[in-house]
Amino acid sequence: MSSDSDNEQIEATSDAKSASAKTSPPSEKEIELPKFEKGLADKIVEKFGTRIKVAFVKPDRVRINVGRDDVKEVAEFLRDVLNFDHAESVSGVDYPQDKEIEVVYHLGSYTDSSLARQILVLATRAQREENPIPGNDTTKLPSLREIFYSVEFHEREIFEMFGVYFQGHPDNRRLLLPEDWADLPPLRKDFAIKGR
Amino acid sequence: MNKELPPGLALQKVDERIMTLNVGPQHPGSGHMRIIVQIDGDFIVACDPDPGYVHRGEEKMAEYRNYITNIPHLERPVIHDSCNVLYPYVLGVEELLGIEVPERAKYIRVIASELNRCVYTMYWLAIYGIFLGHSTMFMWPAGDRELLIDLLEKMTGARVTHAHFVPGGVRNDLPPNFEDVCLRQVNYFEKRIKEYAAIFYDNPILIARTANTGVLSREDAIRLGTTGSVLRASGVDYDLRKKEPYDVYDELDFQTNVLKEGDSYARSKIPWLDMMESCRIIRHALQKMPKSGSVRVKLKPNPKGGDASVYKRVESGRGSLGCYIVSDKKPEPYRVKLSVGSFRNLIALPYLLKGEKLGNMPSVYWSLNYWPVEADR
Amino acid sequence: MSVIAPNFKFSEFVKSILDNIFWILLIFVLIGLPAVFIILFYIEMPVINGELLTPFLALTWLADPSRTLPILKAFMTTDLFRIAAFPGFGFAALLAAGTIFIERKMLAKLQLRVGPFYCGKIEGILQLMGDGLKLISKEIIIPAKADKPIFWAAPIIFVATAAAFVALIPVAPGWVVADVDVGLLAVFAIIGFFPIITILSAWSSNSKFPFIGGIRALHQMVSFEIPLILSLLGVVILTGTLNLSEIVASQTNFPWIIFLPIGAIIFFITILAELERIPFDLPEAESEIVAGWLTEFSGMIYGLVQLGTYLKLYAFAALFVVLFLGGWTGPMIWPPFPEEIITDGIVIGPIHAKIPGLPVFSQEMLNGVLWFVIKTVGVIFFILLPRGVFPRIRIDMLLSLGWYKLIGLAFVNIFIALGLLYAGVLGPGGIL
Repeated sequence: MSSDSDNEQIEATSDAKSASAKTSPPSEKEIELPKFEKGLADKIVEKFGTRIKVAFVKPDRVRINVGRDDVKEVAEFLRDVLNFDHAESVSGVDYPQDKEIEVVYHLGSYTDSSLARQILVLATRAQREENPIPGNDTTKLPSLREIFYSVEFHEREIFEMFGVYFQGHPDNRRLLLPEDWADLPPLRKDFAIKGR
Repeated sequence: MNKELPPGLALQKVDERIMTLNVGPQHPGSGHMRIIVQIDGDFIVACDPDPGYVHRGEEKMAEYRNYITNIPHLERPVIHDSCNVLYPYVLGVEELLGIEVPERAKYIRVIASELNRCVYTMYWLAIYGIFLGHSTMFMWPAGDRELLIDLLEKMTGARVTHAHFVPGGVRNDLPPNFEDVCLRQVNYFEKRIKEYAAIFYDNPILIARTANTGVLSREDAIRLGTTGSVLRASGVDYDLRKKEPYDVYDELDFQTNVLKEGDSYARSKIPWLDMMESCRIIRHALQKMPKSGSVRVKLKPNPKGGDASVYKRVESGRGSLGCYIVSDKKPEPYRVKLSVGSFRNLIALPYLLKGEKLGNMPSVYWSLNYWPVEADR
Repeated sequence: MSVIAPNFKFSEFVKSILDNIFWILLIFVLIGLPAVFIILFYIEMPVINGELLTPFLALTWLADPSRTLPILKAFMTTDLFRIAAFPGFGFAALLAAGTIFIERKMLAKLQLRVGPFYCGKIEGILQLMGDGLKLISKEIIIPAKADKPIFWAAPIIFVATAAAFVALIPVAPGWVVADVDVGLLAVFAIIGFFPIITILSAWSSNSKFPFIGGIRALHQMVSFEIPLILSLLGVVILTGTLNLSEIVASQTNFPWIIFLPIGAIIFFITILAELERIPFDLPEAESEIVAGWLTEFSGMIYGLVQLGTYLKLYAFAALFVVLFLGGWTGPMIWPPFPEEIITDGIVIGPIHAKIPGLPVFSQEMLNGVLWFVIKTVGVIFFILLPRGVFPRIRIDMLLSLGWYKLIGLAFVNIFIALGLLYAGVLGPGGIL
């Protein structure tokens, strides 16, 4: 179905697009922030001030970075005041050069229909150790399981995949990995796949 | 003076009454996972799901391959629903690279995604049937599924692992005369699935068995963060195709199916009702689709993402499916996380099985629309 | 390069065969022949056509059909024939196997697939035989902690009990293995064995899923035995006898299902439960408890249990026919044996063979067997049909069905029978 002329056209447009992609992120921030999302971010800033940092405000997505001591308090505020009632996903990201492991909660809301499109990204960072002993080193974070019940299995997964121990989690057992796994937590960057 | 029980009835400890059963991983009623069930007589007193038998490290693998070569292996978690599994990843990469998708490709994606949802749901329904001991309900969906698989084969070239969605559109245009064949097959398919009501969904034994078992209330469904059919069977009207429309879902005419009961029967009925909506969507999309035009924006080889992160989600056959991509100006993503519906619904299993009868275990377990391979990734 | 037998030499192969033949002949001549003669010496040989049958005379059967038929007839009057071949084991197994084949094809058609197709030339007719051969050739695995004597014995007892049940079924007038006066009571006694065997085998395999399956089977069979027995009391009240042959004979004018339809329905439902058929296959519920009490069985042990189940299926269907559908009674549709073969013999070209002793079976007997087979196959068909339509039910639903509904209905059935009896409509001295 496709012809040569089509391809040329697409090539041309894609070049233009990729060029604009390189320049677009800063310009977007300057020009306009989505109103509703800006309001959400402002509410959080109003409450916590400098203890949190709004990383970005994009359409439907607001990201805030929180220190590990404040994460519980912020989460409670998000649930009680802003009506975010469940966690969609909890991801860990390993940053060896920063000596930190980031844990990212993606929070959503079923009860508040105005928040149905929104995802609030709550990120916090734990200390990273070169020789991890999962559960018995300083890589620890407070668990959000009492605030968002739905993070239970996600936090178990983060514990085995990154070695981040969640204090206050009632059930810090292995979930996906075998019981006799004795290697590094596998999703850390220093765990290399064979042959790569 | 205490009344003494006869020696046979007086047990020393409560624990002596309790038997631990290992349901799975080699069990016809478990799939690729293990459920450690503790039963007291015929009642389940505790349940501990143990997934991970098919963990393949998709997320780790994704960190070693570039954005395009990630496509064929990221669809592996659910090969029956492979288009939908890829969908959030592709949407996320498009946002990272700043690509605008042609209009025709969006419609093709929606059609492929809805066909795939039906294929997955038929497979799920077949297993639900055999879990309840209904062998006809195993054979019928497994056979009728072929109709749509043939369509997808015409469309993408592969029967289950399509790898059809690419950042910037779809891999190939539709074959000639596809619209007519698709319309005919989908109409026949809809006629067939309506017949399932007579043999399965209106069956008095089925209703007596699954109604009022494993009831998940609206509050608990929200608190546990369930998604997809489990959530909608508990009375929460939340479908990402309506709430956060991606591609062209906001231009199409369909409705969300919501039931209030929250029991196994409602949970099993929602996917079936969704299939009829899918047929509607496909027909409408075929009608509105631009008849010609390009279907793919050609990318530069080895594209690099910016220093950003995106979280995109779609409504898959098992509920909301999110993909969190962190990029760091390299051809490979820094981190890819799939937040899958099965994994999110698994948390409801211990909650629902507690206090149920052992005979209800397969129906409650499979009504969660759970796919072990997807949960393990 | 892979070769199946690397050191194969054809000459050695021939030599080994010749060796085997030599040794077999030697052992047969030295041990076998004397043993045969010793046995024949002590056995009282029958007198046929006025001459005593000697072992040497017996060899002439092979050549002369006029000598063969009387021997055959003499053999057919023995108990061995009745137990092993005709009204007993062989007939039942063949009938059940044929019905299973029909069931598999029918279920396949219902489910829009083909069913058995490749084994045997016609539509996979030998599939059941193939399955049996597969089971025979498989290894028997016994759990390490099983109670071995009981574990071995349970399938054998199961088949033996099912065969004992088959022995009570009258197929045609006079054709029954055990014609006991308390036939129906004997049936109840034999049915009572099945839960015991099930729980024994389940317990002895020392495994959790068989144990749960055994407990379920025990609950199911015990709770459905009571409505089963009660549903048959109506027939006993009306006929005034427990002998199954007499019960059939009492139905020459009309089958009891016309007057006792409730009893027949209850009996049919209890049959489904006793046979562990869908929707009552809880003891073998696959997705819940793997295979229930059959989980640890493998190879021919499992094959024996399947054989016993088929025999049981036949026996229950036949019991339904005997009690409610009039057994062998029915209009005469079997053609009479051609007279000229008896008087003139068979003429094929130059050969003119006159065979005394024909016909082997009487016309009434063949007609009775035909009707019996037709009815039994029909009942088996209805027993197997729910498999394609219903899901499995749950144990609490099953028990409440058995204890509340079926027992209540069974009493209604008994009152109908009593009413008919005291009104003088039916029964001994009734107007019909």
